[in-house]
Amino acid sequence: MEEPVDTATAILASAAVLLRERTFDDISYRALADEVGISERTIYRQYPTRAHLLAALSNWIEQTYFPLPPFVTVSDFCAAVHERFRAFDASPAYAYVGARASAISPTIDIEPAYITRAIEAMLDVAAPTLNRRDRRRVAASLRYFSSAMFWARLRTGFDLDAGEICDAFDHAVGTVLARLPAATWAQP
Amino acid sequence: MTGQTVVPALSGTQEAILAAYTELIEELGSDDVSYRVIARRAGIAERTVFRNYPTRVDLLLATAAWIEATLFAREESHSIFDLPLAIREAMQRYDARPELAHVVAETAMRGVNGAAPSPGRAQLERLLDAEVPSLDAARRRAVIAALSHLDSVGTWVTFRREFGMDRRDIADAAAWAAEAVLDGIRDRVTPA
Repeated sequence: MEEPVDTATAILASAAVLLRERTFDDISYRALADEVGISERTIYRQYPTRAHLLAALSNWIEQTYFPLPPFVTVSDFCAAVHERFRAFDASPAYAYVGARASAISPTIDIEPAYITRAIEAMLDVAAPTLNRRDRRRVAASLRYFSSAMFWARLRTGFDLDAGEICDAFDHAVGTVLARLPAATWAQP
Repeated sequence: MTGQTVVPALSGTQEAILAAYTELIEELGSDDVSYRVIARRAGIAERTVFRNYPTRVDLLLATAAWIEATLFAREESHSIFDLPLAIREAMQRYDARPELAHVVAETAMRGVNGAAPSPGRAQLERLLDAEVPSLDAARRRAVIAALSHLDSVGTWVTFRREFGMDRRDIADAAAWAAEAVLDGIRDRVTPA
């Protein structure tokens, strides 16, 4: 670590270092404490359970390694997701942590992810007259197809690389948007 | 059944361990359950649990597969176009057992050998090939991938967590998205 940081962040940065050589399950609090140079008890104080650690680690990795490019239009959205999937492919161990953290039972009151809000805002602009129910169905579908879970499922379950995953994503997004009448979309 | 998971034949002891652990997850969460507590609940020795499942990951993978194949098992779909119905019912099943749903979702996302993120894939391929054999390879793969993604507990977790949807809304939105994926192939069925 270049910068002196608070203990909570130092723990996450060290966990990320350890992730390069082993899975999250194989990172014990003991090993993590040694890596940071603090006591195991300090880690427990910051992250009382492994679920807390996983959630915090995933957030930190997301901000540090997978920042979401901003998007306003649907095509910008697709480009941003492609970029993310390629970044996931370049650091699979980190991306799996994100996929896994998004599946666990929330440990704290969680806010929806930034990408969720960004998708909702995009639809507000792109389809201002769309009814609320369809808007939510579209937003939820786009959100789920752009997730680390989608990347992880296609990589592990289908042996696809980032390019093929982007193609499958584009296809899924196309089918969802095609459900809406053409007149839904605001003219630029 | 669409979510058919290939579960290796389990011994009576293994089934007792998985059932005991499943109960304990619902009572305590998956983090806090020791092998000793599992053994006591299953009425066996702790070393028997270790002999069958040497690591916690082994135990979790086996438990998630067992839950998918039993508590979350679905009716068999006879057509790919019936899949939205199966998805709707599956979402309601997940909603009734939230702790287990999270454990299954997380286990599928581990990216390790033995994690089965798309247990229903072979079944989907069989249905699609029987009804719509004319798709090119990329299109076929995209349809299967999208449906397989939607027909999973990840859908329930994401829609609930990111959009605060309740049981009905999740079931509706998931089935709706599956219908969207099917829209593109609806009229391409090979006549019987």
